[in-house]
This record gives sequence, structure tokens and C-alpha cells, in this order.
Amino acid sequence: MDEKYSSNVLSGGKLGMVEVPDSRLTKYIALLIVSKVLKALGVFESYDILKFVHIVQFIFILKLGSAVILLFFQKPFSSGKIISKRQWIKLAKHAVFSCVVSLLGFFGLTLCGPLRTLLLFEHADVVVVALLSVLFTNSGGGPSKTRGAALFIIAVICLLLFDNDDLMSKMGDHPEGHHDSALTHFLYTAISFLGVADHKGGVVLLVASLFLKVGFHTAARKLSVEIGGSKRLYALDCLVSAAVLLPWVIFLSVTTESKVESWASLVFPFSMVIFSVMILEFYVDAVCSAKMEAPRCARYGTFALFSSGLLLANFWTHPLTDQIRSMSIPPKLVSTEHVLSGGVMVSAIFFLMSSSILAAPSKKGQKGTLVGYSPEGTPLYNFMGDALHHTSQSLPRFISDSLKQILEESDSRQIFYFLCLNLAFTFVELFYGVWTNSLGLISDGFHMLFDCSALVLGLFAALMTRWKATRIFSYGFGRVEILSGFINGLFLMVIAFFVFMESVTRLLDPPNIDTDMLTPVSVGGLLVNLVGICAFSHAHSHGGKSCSSHDHGNSHGEHSHSHGGHGHSHGGHGHSHGSHGHAHGSLTGGMNANMRGVFLHVLADTLGSVGVIISTILIRQFGWLVADPICSLFIATLIFLSVIPLLKEACEVLLLRIPPEHEKELNGALEKIDKLEGVLSHRDAHFWRHSANMVAGTIHLQVMSDVVEQRITQQVTALLKDAGVNNLSVQVEKEAYFQHMSGLSSGFHEVLAMTQQMESMKYPSDGTCIM
Amino acid sequence: MAMDGIMSTSTGLSYSNVGEFYPRKFGPKPDVVPSGVTERKVGPLDKPDMVSVDVLNLQNPDVPMHRKKQEHDTYVLGTFHPFRKSNRSVVGRFLQEVRLVASDRRSWRILLFGALNLLCTGCLLMWCSSTNSMALTAYTYLTIFDLFSLITCLISSWVTMKKPSQFYSFGFERLEVLAVFASTVLIQLGALFILKESVERFMEQPEVHTGRLLVGTFVALFFNLSTLMSVRNKPFAYVSEAASSSWLQEHVADLSRSLCGIIPGLSSMLLPRMNPFVLINMAGALSLCITYMLIEINNFNAVDTASAVAIALMTFGTMYPMSVYSGKVLLQTTPSHVIGQLDKLLREISTLDGVLEVRNEHFWTVGFGSLAGSAHVRIRRDANEQLVLAHVTNRLLPLVSTLTVQIFKDDWTRPLLTSALASPSVAHPQAESYTASSLMPPVLTGGELDPLTSTPTKLSSPPPEFSFNTPGRNVPPVLFAAAGPHTHRPYGNLGLAYGAVPYSGMPSQGLMRPGAGLGLGVPGMGAGFGLTHSYGTDFSSSRAPLRFGTNNPLGLQTQYRQYQP
Repeated sequence: MDEKYSSNVLSGGKLGMVEVPDSRLTKYIALLIVSKVLKALGVFESYDILKFVHIVQFIFILKLGSAVILLFFQKPFSSGKIISKRQWIKLAKHAVFSCVVSLLGFFGLTLCGPLRTLLLFEHADVVVVALLSVLFTNSGGGPSKTRGAALFIIAVICLLLFDNDDLMSKMGDHPEGHHDSALTHFLYTAISFLGVADHKGGVVLLVASLFLKVGFHTAARKLSVEIGGSKRLYALDCLVSAAVLLPWVIFLSVTTESKVESWASLVFPFSMVIFSVMILEFYVDAVCSAKMEAPRCARYGTFALFSSGLLLANFWTHPLTDQIRSMSIPPKLVSTEHVLSGGVMVSAIFFLMSSSILAAPSKKGQKGTLVGYSPEGTPLYNFMGDALHHTSQSLPRFISDSLKQILEESDSRQIFYFLCLNLAFTFVELFYGVWTNSLGLISDGFHMLFDCSALVLGLFAALMTRWKATRIFSYGFGRVEILSGFINGLFLMVIAFFVFMESVTRLLDPPNIDTDMLTPVSVGGLLVNLVGICAFSHAHSHGGKSCSSHDHGNSHGEHSHSHGGHGHSHGGHGHSHGSHGHAHGSLTGGMNANMRGVFLHVLADTLGSVGVIISTILIRQFGWLVADPICSLFIATLIFLSVIPLLKEACEVLLLRIPPEHEKELNGALEKIDKLEGVLSHRDAHFWRHSANMVAGTIHLQVMSDVVEQRITQQVTALLKDAGVNNLSVQVEKEAYFQHMSGLSSGFHEVLAMTQQMESMKYPSDGTCIM
Repeated sequence: MAMDGIMSTSTGLSYSNVGEFYPRKFGPKPDVVPSGVTERKVGPLDKPDMVSVDVLNLQNPDVPMHRKKQEHDTYVLGTFHPFRKSNRSVVGRFLQEVRLVASDRRSWRILLFGALNLLCTGCLLMWCSSTNSMALTAYTYLTIFDLFSLITCLISSWVTMKKPSQFYSFGFERLEVLAVFASTVLIQLGALFILKESVERFMEQPEVHTGRLLVGTFVALFFNLSTLMSVRNKPFAYVSEAASSSWLQEHVADLSRSLCGIIPGLSSMLLPRMNPFVLINMAGALSLCITYMLIEINNFNAVDTASAVAIALMTFGTMYPMSVYSGKVLLQTTPSHVIGQLDKLLREISTLDGVLEVRNEHFWTVGFGSLAGSAHVRIRRDANEQLVLAHVTNRLLPLVSTLTVQIFKDDWTRPLLTSALASPSVAHPQAESYTASSLMPPVLTGGELDPLTSTPTKLSSPPPEFSFNTPGRNVPPVLFAAAGPHTHRPYGNLGLAYGAVPYSGMPSQGLMRPGAGLGLGVPGMGAGFGLTHSYGTDFSSSRAPLRFGTNNPLGLQTQYRQYQP
């Protein structure tokens, strides 16, 4: 059973790489856990230190201290090969980057507190790489990885939304003088520009710097090979970054006075932090990743780190720990800072789960190549990174290609331009709403976005229509636009339904409406939509010049307009039926179903704006609060009525009805076919509209035995082509066919059916013989 | 039971049914050839046809549309009745269709559940507005989806009673597909609406009252599950089986597989593919419970919005594969699971004797399951069209139930010239065949036609076909002698084994011909069974291997030369 099902509930499956049993690795695991616990302690410690010491000074001291120790242990200068000048330059770049990463990390620490920093920043590289591969590549590695990624994101969202870190937001309104340096000031302003509270800004910052850190580690791998081992690189890096930071530190200490009373009291905490955060963790990680595989390392390490972080966060402010703590801090500052909240707990659990899932070796999704068999007989696979094989089109190129395609044809071009206009209007509205902090504007902006999805659908359908026919879509993609018209019709139905429901509730309880703000927005919306209507109907009249359906769209639009003005529902109904007759032709004509759907959408929006303006005027002039729901009732009705013809026609096409506009000709053609010389009868005549410019058909003909099939086929094809069928299959059957078939088919029923069909031919042929 | 409903209303329907298979002009057809006669006969016979066209024109097109409307906005429909009253007959016909459906006992249950569903949905919508909870609204939409699925169920039972009409020549099976598509798309649009509302709510989270939240959840859950369990919903069951599994299903399958690793006893319960509807109902109820707990304990009102988003996303995930599946049916695409089989068949067809290529092949599904298709088969000039047609049809028919195969030859007009010369001169088709054959250059043993064509032994048999492309219809009997031993094959048994023995597998082209020629070669035997005359067609091809071996261009040229006197 255990072979079949995986034993790990969360990550599922230990198939894949063969892992060394835990028993052999106990001491390494213990070492790892101890180092992680110490690291958590060190992070908590450094948070306390950072309250006094400037962040740049702090990092400088850390780097310098660890550089000294590492120089002592590693002896990078006396051992190994000599470092060239170019390598020194690379090393300097590397050091600058590492300084930036640690600056960001520790700055996040000051913002979010130690526990949240541990949760967000201290993920193993494996986990982050797995997360990124799930998010940005198709081959994530099965549903379990997706689940892990979702958990990770949920955990981050939990920290962002449900972590009411009240104290931080209280501290958030920090006086500007609080900032010690230009750097922190810049970061603070950047965060406040984002418009979020400080600790939330810290969360975002930490997530960003986590990705940066992983990228930095990946990039550093090459350099470490060049330099000669990661340990040597690390030692040199510490040294160089200390040197890089030195001028800044000197500058800082000259310009600002330090808040530290006595550096002597900080010696022990600093050495503790240096030991636990910089030195011990690095060495233990190096050892463990050599002995164990990285995923397992990551799993145990993360688990130890997070759980110890949770414990420490709980007890750090406890009076008992005060004695253990190496640094005495005035109690008023300690009180409640970054306390444990429910959100943090939940997100910690989610982080633990997600890192254990993401760090688990994936069993699916990776293409392994068999390299041989282990002594036990289990197959060994070599897993290459999928990213290496993955060649994808670059994004800018993809965008430019699709833009070119869009602009090629008038339909999609029209939709695209209008979409751009609409989106621009929406974003202006949204930004203005955010700026003035008006909720109505923002919600209206989202409403516009919602409407834009119909346009996007139409655009996509217009693009797809031109794709080449494939094996699956053997008739080509022309039908997509009918389906898209149908979906757009349904969309409008849904909108009408919601508007209707809302207006009914408002009718029962008319709310007080603030009309001041609505008018400019609705006028703007009206203008945009009017442009859209003009554009679409213009295109329509251009495209449908030759067709009789030309005036349909316009008359339709006018009808709705006049209808909105008069408000006579019966008249409107008659109108819509009047245009109904035309509507049949319109599907073939200038405007296809897709464009009609989009057009109706724009029309509905316009009607909405008109309704808002009218109701605003009514409310202002007469104070009729009921005017608003009544207007929206009207609009809902109008939308509903205007969509019905579109839906009806789309349904007819989708249900493979005989195209109504060709009905007469087809009947005539069938009559003519029956009159053809040698044709006995026809059966199974199916004609249907496949897409705007394709009418497909199949027909079976029974002919006399002495006629040439090809001639009949040609005649029938020509006849039906005149009737509008341009994709035809004709099956010409003689009596011989039925006899062959009854000979070939083995089942009784088939024979019966065949003989029945043959009977139908027998009679006339008998007659022929008799005569 | 339901038939009388059809009969009483639409007399044209029965006609059209018959008309599909028994074409109209059987009676007067005997006087085939003269064109004047055909005109005469058309008049009286086509008159009823036109009448039936009118009847059906009123009758049919409105019906599906009506159904759709009812399905879209059940609530709205009530209010919009006044608008539609003007068209009295539409409502009457609609009611009549309802009566037709209601005549079935099973649909009573569906209607009952539909009524209950309406009640429940109304209740839930009220609770939604009173609790001000977005998550409950999202969950209520699942109840509305249940209503849609019940309507789809009704439609599918209606569809089974309906026969193809003149306008909807494929029948109404597609209506089922359309209903499934529309309901899945509608529920997704509802989920989109929920998403939009939730984004707006993230800006400003209103207070959520938890009073009715849990009650509403459990009422909806109970109701949905009971509907799912007690009503057998054929179309949705089919789609949920056939469509690819949703991400929700995949995750649950993955989790439950892991869980089975711990508790193997659960494997029989957890490992089969879960019903997506049950799954989404459960998951939605679960997230609502969590919402309730968190709001009660911590007063996190934002959880409500978050779980609304989660339910909306789950709805998307569940419905998307189904709407893709049904949408692909509506788009007339080849279902991907039959592509392999179709490819195999098409390859087989292209190896048939005489077949050069298969092109323009279109295969698609009419309703759920039944394939329709058409293909154009190009054959060699000398191949027998009816034989190839029969073989191709025979191959494809088990898979593709509505099949049309167009056979075409490339250069058929040229030999036609001779027949065009010949045909006007003679009235009788049989005579035509004689003259045509006599026109043939006496390269071979021209005068001595083989006994079967020259002497119509059986009155019942039609005049044997004359294939213009095959000069070798007068085959020297050498071949028959070679094929002689084969005559002992079971030919006597009604001709049913006709295809089985010589044609099975069709491993090589040459193998078929002796068999085909064989039927001809033993004219004496032909009297024994009624099908012998059909072999007259094969007779020609039996000569082929000698003449045109393997598409020998030289052979073709010589053949042409024969036709130019």
C-alpha cells in the first residue's frame, strides 16, 4: 500500500529520487535544527539591536565581524589560487549586491518585526524556485505543487490582510525626523507612496527581497566556482562588502550622532548575532547540503526556524526571557510590539505547509531520463531542469505579433481601439477615484472593467476566427465568433438581470443618491460609448454596403434610442419585431454575431449612461428619488429585448438550423435536384450555417444505375452553390451501393435498414423495367 | 404516450419524417428520362410539401428559443410575460410543449424539484441581502445553477421525444448541448460578477451578519445535494464524465490519494473520480463554515469576501472544463478522443483499392456522443464508385452514424463526351448502355458481351451499370478460371458473407479483384441469390490488375487512346 500511495499527506509521494534514510543523518539534522534555532534567536536579537544602531552601521559591523572570523578560518588569501583583477571587480559587484540584499532584509526586519521577517525572508532557495516555477511555467509539477504555491500566496495575503499589527500602524505615523539616513528615508517614502501601512509595506519589501536573494544566490554560484569554493567566496564577500560599506559608515558617524550609549554593552549581542546569523548558519548549511539533498535540508530547516520563531515571538516579551536576553531594554518600549496575532499564526502554519510541499521532490511533471538501476533494483532517473528545455516566445515579440494580427482586420481593429479607449477611461476613473478617495468612482471603474471583459472576449473571438483550420477544428474557427456572440448575449442577459434585481430592491427602498459626482462620470461614459457606437456602426455601414442587412444595425440602434426617449414599451416591441425580419439577414451581412454582441454591449452601456443622466436630471429638478430605479428598470428591459434577436439567431446557428435566409433557395434547389435527369430521390439533406461566410451541407442522392455519378455530383454542387451552400458533400448512391452495403454489413439490423433503403429504390427501377 | 401530442398538433411532422427517408417522387418516377414528364409530376406532389413548410415554420423555430429564455432568467420571465402576450400562439405552443414534457412521469419529479428550487433560491436570496454576505450569494448561485441543470434535464427529456424537423434536420439533440453550455457559461458569468463585487468590497468591507449565514449554508447544501442525488441528470452526468477534470477534482484526487496512503481502507471511497457538483457544493459549504467561524470568533469580515472569491474561483474551475467540452461540440470540432480511431479508419480507407486520397474530412458530434461527418474521397479513374463508396461507408459507419461520402474522380469529363454523344439518341437506359458499349473500339473482343450484361436474366435486376472508364469490362475468362477454386467459398448464404471473405482486411489490392470478379465469373451461380447483379460492377475492376497494374501511366494512356475513335 505504501508503495502505491504516498505517505505524506501534504506533499504527496516520495517517488522520484531515492532518499537516504533519516537514521544515518540524525546528527546533521540535529545540527541543522540547532543552528536554525540559534539563527531565530539571532534575528530576534538583531531586531532589538536595530532599535538603537543605524542599519548601515549594523550591517557593517556584521560583515566586518564575520569577515574577521572567516579570514581566520578560511584563510582565503593564503590558500587557493590567486585572484585576478577581473575577479576582484566581479567580487566587488557581488559584494554590493549582497549589501543591498542584506540592507533590504534588515530594513524589512525593522518594519515587520522578527517573526514576520523569519516567515517571509528565510525560505530556502529550493522552495522559492519551486514556487516560481509553478507560477511562471506550465510544468509546475502536478497539483500538489500548485497547492503549495497557493498556500504560500495565501500565507502572504494573510500577513497582508488579516494580521492586525496594530502597534505598527500606530508607529506608522512616524515623524519624518525619525529617519536616520537618506536610504531609509527613501524606502519609507517609497512605501508610503504605495499607500499601505508600514508593516504591510515591510511584507511586500520582504517578499521582493526574498526573490532578489534567491536570484542573487543563483547568480553567485558561477562566481563561487570561479573563485574556488563558496566558502572562500563568502569570506571574501564579507570582507569586500565591509570595505564597501566603510565610507558610508564613516560619513554617517561623522554627520549624525549615535543613539548608542555604550558600544561596550553591545559587544556581546553583536557577537551573538554574528555567530548565529552569519557564521554558524552558513557552515551548517554548507555541511548539511553536502550530506543531505537540498529539499530535505530545506524542509527540516524551515520547520525548525519557523517553530522556534513562533515560540520566541511568544516568549520574547515575557519577563522570564528578559533575564536571558543579553540586552536590557527599557520596559515601555518592549510592551507589545509585533505581537502574535491570529493572522500570523495562520500564515505561519500555511508557510510551514507550503514550504514542506514545495520542498518535497516532485514526482510528476519532471521528465527524467533513466540512467540506470540502483543496487536495490529501483530505477534511477536524471532530472534535468525543465527550464533548460523550455523555449518560449519572448513576451515583447508575442505582444507585437498579436498586435499586428489585431490591426490587420477591421473588426478586431475596431474592437481593439474601442477597448483601449474604454480601458483608458476606466483607469483615469480609477486613479481619480483613488486620488480623491471616492468609492463610487472606484466601483464604477471596476464596473467598467467588468464590461471590458466582454470586449476582450469579442476581440479574442475576432482574432481566433482567422486562425487556420486544424485537425480538430476541421471547418476552421469561423464558428467561434458565433459562440462568442452567444456568450456576449448571455452576458448582457446576466447584466440585465442584475440591473433588474437591483432596481427592484431600490424601488422598494429608494436610497439617497449623491448626484453631484455621478453626472460627470456618466457624461464621460456616454461620450466614450458614443464614440464606440459611431465606430461600430460606421464599420457596419462600410462592411455591409452590398448587403440588404445594411440598415438593420442602424435602425436597431435608433429604435432603442427612440424607445428610451419615449418609454412606450409596446411600440418598442413592435419595432423589435419589425427589425426582426431584417435580423435574419444581418448575420450574414456586414455585422457578424460577434460584432453584434459587442455592439449591443456598447449600446447597453450607452443606455446606462443616458439613464443615469436622465435620472439625475429628474432627481435634481423634481426630487423624484424613484426615477433612478425606474430608469434602470427600463434599461434592463431594453437590454433584454435587444439581446433576444441576437441570442435567437446564435441559437439557430448553433443548433444547425437551415439558414433562414437561404431557405427558399434551398427548397428550390432541392426541387431542381429531384428533377435532374437520372436522380431518383434525395435523403438526409442537411444544410446549416457553419460560420458567417460558410454554409455547409450534406446530401445523399439516389440515382438511376446508368447515370454518371460525377456529373450528378457536379450538377448538384452547382445547384446548391447557387443556393448559397459553399461547403458541400454529395453522396451519390445507386442501387448497387445498397447491395454492396447489405453484403458488407454483418449485423441483422443494418441489413434490414439497407434493404429498406433499397426497397425505396426498387420500386421505381421496377417500373422502369416494366415500361 | 407523448406521441399523440405530436400527432394532434403537427400533421406536417409525420410527413417530414417520412419524407426524409422515402423521397417524394417514387410514384411518378418510372418515367424518368424525358424532362417534360418530370415537370408534370412535380405539381400535385409538391403542394402538400409547401403546406408543411408553412406549418413547420410556425411550429418549430420558436420552441428552442423559448426554452432558452426560460432557462436564462426564470425570475425575469414572469415580469416579461406582458410583452410576449402579443404573440398568443407562441405562448400556446409553449404550453403545449410543456404538456408534452409533462406527460412523462419522470419530468414531474423534475418539475417538483424545480418548484422547490425556486422557493429555496428566493429564500436564500432574501437571506443574502439580510446577512449582507457575499460568500452566501456566491453559494446561492450554485443553487441557481441547480435550477439550470433541472431545466437542462427537462430539455433533454423533451429532446428525446422530438423528431428531427424540416428546419432542424439533425434533430434537437444539440439543444441539450446548448443548454449545458448556456447554463455553465451563465454560472461562470455569475461568478465573474461575484468577483467584481468582491473586488469592490475589498475597498470597503461592510459588516456581515452571521445570523442566517449557517442556516442558509446548510439549507442550500442539503437542497443541492438532494437535487443531485434524486434527479438523474443525463446531460450533466455525461458532460462531467467526458470533460477533463477540473482543478478542484485534481486537487481532491491528489489529496485523497495521499490520504489513502495513511488509511488504505478509504481507497474505495476516495479514489474514484469525484462528482464535480458534489465537490463544489461541499467545498463551498466548507468555506462558508470557516467564514462563519472566523467572523464569529475574530470578527474578520474580510473573510467573507475572501471566501466569496474562493467560491467564485471554484465555480470557474468546475464549470470551465464542462463549458469547454460543450462549446467544442457546438463549434463542430472533432472530439479529441476519437481522433486516433478516425485516423486509423482513414488510413485504412486510403489503402482501399482505387482510393487515391481522402480530403475535406469533417467529423463532429451532433449531440452528446453521436458523430456526424463528411469526407471527400478521390478515387482512380477506373475504380468503381459505388463499390468504393460502400466500402468507405462500411468502414466509417460504426463510428460515424451520420455519414456523407463524396466520391470524386479527377478527369471524369473526358470519357463523358462519348456518353453525351450517345445518350440523347436513345431513350432507354439499357439501350444506352448497349450503344455506349458498341461505341467502344473493338480492341478487345468487342462484340461478345459477357452473358450477364447482354441478357437480362432477371427482370428484377436493374440494367447493369456501365462504367465508362473501364474498357476492360469484357474480360477474357482466363481470370475466372484462375479464380475458380474460390467459388467454393460460402457464397450461397444470402450474400451476407460477401464482404467477409474476400474483402476482409484488404491486405493487398490484387487480392480483392479475383474475389470481386468471381461473382461474375459464375453466372450460373448468380441465379441462386438475388444479389448477383451487383457484381456486375466489380467485373470491370477485375480486369484492372492486368491493364493498369500499379498506376502505370503508359497503361492510362493506352486507355485514353481507346476512347478516341
